[in-house]
Amino acid sequence: MSNLMQRPIHITAEDLLQSVQFKKGDFGKIALISGQPQRAQVCLNCLKNPVKNFTFLGYTFWTGEYKGKKITVGNGGFYAPDSAFTTEMLCAGGVEVIIRLGSCGALSSEINIGDFILADKIIRGEGTTSYYVDESFMPKVDERLTERLAKFFSQEAKVFKGGVWTTDALLRETKEVVNSFIQKGAIAVDMVTSPLVTVANLYQRKVAVVSVVSDNLITGELGFNRIEFFDSQEKLVDLAFRFLENELL
Amino acid sequence: MKILFLQPNLGAWSTFGRHCAPNIGQAQLAGLVRKKHPQYLLKALDCRALGYDDKTMLSEIEKFNPDIVHIGDILHTTGGAAVVYRYNEAAKLVKEKFPKVTIVASGLVYASAPKEILGRNPQIDYCIMGEQDYTFLELIEALEQAKDVSKVAGLSFRKDGRIVLTNYRPLISDLDELPLPAYDLFPMDKYVGHTYWKGYVETWNSRGCPAGCSFCYEWSQFDTRSTADLKFFRARSAKLVADELELLADKFGMKVVCMMDDCFNVSRRRMEEFLEEAKKRNFAQKINWMFLGRAPYYLRDLDLIKEFRSAGCVMALVGIEVATDEELQELGKGITVEQVKETVAKLRENKVASILTWMMGFENDDEYRIKKRYEAIDEIDPDICALQYLTPMPGAPIWPKYVERGWVKFDDLKTWDFHHPVVPTKHLSREQIGNLGAWAIREFYSKPGRIERVLYSKDYHPLAKLCFRDFMQNVNRFEKASKHEELYV
Repeated sequence: MSNLMQRPIHITAEDLLQSVQFKKGDFGKIALISGQPQRAQVCLNCLKNPVKNFTFLGYTFWTGEYKGKKITVGNGGFYAPDSAFTTEMLCAGGVEVIIRLGSCGALSSEINIGDFILADKIIRGEGTTSYYVDESFMPKVDERLTERLAKFFSQEAKVFKGGVWTTDALLRETKEVVNSFIQKGAIAVDMVTSPLVTVANLYQRKVAVVSVVSDNLITGELGFNRIEFFDSQEKLVDLAFRFLENELL
Repeated sequence: MKILFLQPNLGAWSTFGRHCAPNIGQAQLAGLVRKKHPQYLLKALDCRALGYDDKTMLSEIEKFNPDIVHIGDILHTTGGAAVVYRYNEAAKLVKEKFPKVTIVASGLVYASAPKEILGRNPQIDYCIMGEQDYTFLELIEALEQAKDVSKVAGLSFRKDGRIVLTNYRPLISDLDELPLPAYDLFPMDKYVGHTYWKGYVETWNSRGCPAGCSFCYEWSQFDTRSTADLKFFRARSAKLVADELELLADKFGMKVVCMMDDCFNVSRRRMEEFLEEAKKRNFAQKINWMFLGRAPYYLRDLDLIKEFRSAGCVMALVGIEVATDEELQELGKGITVEQVKETVAKLRENKVASILTWMMGFENDDEYRIKKRYEAIDEIDPDICALQYLTPMPGAPIWPKYVERGWVKFDDLKTWDFHHPVVPTKHLSREQIGNLGAWAIREFYSKPGRIERVLYSKDYHPLAKLCFRDFMQNVNRFEKASKHEELYV
């Protein structure tokens, strides 16, 4: 037997879904996806009669009712590789609208810990998406959905709309690297958005990204454990669900 | 006779944020003096609550022109023994400006170490040894009538260049004989707990603790000539405790009470009666409260925990100090880790937030033991943890051993707030202990999921969530105190 792989692909999203006994219709049409499991748990607490869809490699999804509609929530990954395959699973599982509820670092001294970032431009700086698309591909959030989210969030929070750069290397955010991405229009950096949006684009799903600022690369502030961050995280989930109720359902 | 109860401008524990309550020891003394001698003029000057600096303090004292100034605190939560430094400094200023004023000190440390205090602080005229109430009363009577103060039991003072101790005064058996504290003398609208709790007050309705652990700082409330006073538990009746809370709510508009008794839940019967009174008087709607208790008693009263919230109790504290049964046995705590774990779980089940106190700096502590202890605390998973460094206090059974080893020396007590390590262990320097403490508290308050569980809880009372918020916001202050960088008391 040849030592080279004969099958066209080792495993697909459909294979994975099958392996976890996922059935068509198990997911809702809308998914609110966080990186951190505890934020997903806060979302879960908003659902009525939630049922667990599955856990795969520590990534867990639940679907329940919110105002009579099926909504899926879960932790979609911290980094580019896991964000890519969980997004694929969501898309392959029938989710039509994905809203990422994330956290990010700000790239402007005007932006404070706890402020919100709405991504309107995605800047690829990670390695995962090169397995999905060529170099010229520009991932795009759904403009209308993003606009409506921005308008809705702005009523109760400080929101900045702009480019989000996704990196793989937390400890290599040097001034040379960071400044080059600021010059490309980035106002925030995270480790998730680019693959999530790229995969959603490939599946032609509507996608938007709203994140809470956890730190600031310009001022050097670290707010991962600051109360403002946790207050905004609670607000993020609250506003996201109210947005669904008022704008999408 | 004019008596001034002085609280200089103190801070608070590093983890407490903005925190000040009426000095309950002084309020109780004032209540007793007024009952016996309504003709005396009494004033409470709480510079901490009023934000007065030392200059304003002196000018206020000048206006009142007192015969006697009382200093001292009975609750360790005001700032451990570090408050004694502030009292002594304030007394120095008072004596310099008003040399004829008699300064009387009582409460923590003054009660157990009068020789050390009087020896180092010529500005203080009298130290009350042990329980302060009747000694203070008899002292001021003697002073007014120019009688021989050496007949007053429980007192120490200088005579002919020597420090004299009068006879031991036995403890009060029936606390119900004491009147209500004179809260009306205090600026009740100025008090705040944990930065966010407006209308905050601390009560003190029982004295002593059946456990009487050898390291406990509460020994410093007692006269060292008796070796068992801390263990003599006495409590005011449930009805009187409820009367006090009702007065605080109805007359003074207080909203939150922390019952600072060392152990509020010693007696099941008293607990039952208090809960009954609290429900009857609708405390849940007008004044919320929390208390400090022992794990075995919480478990004995599991059925009562279900009634806590309806009676107005929003938080409860339990102590563990160390976190293996062997260590608990070594310390003579008389509890088990499992009991504490179950207590925390039962409180949570009944929507009462838990505070767990624990310690480091015991003589055998090394890095391994401390890190293992933290792991156990983390697993017990209280909502709030309060870490204190072992601070041997004069009067505590461990004190002589520490002095003999040369590990501790009675100094100005400036850093003896339990948030600064003041003694080493057999294996660790004070600096190493402080670093471990800073590490542990940071770990606790940054654990994913814990923060969300408490801050976003739909079960806990908002007051409990505000308290957690305050602790979390002050983690960096605890770190700084631990590393001896900052003083907050």
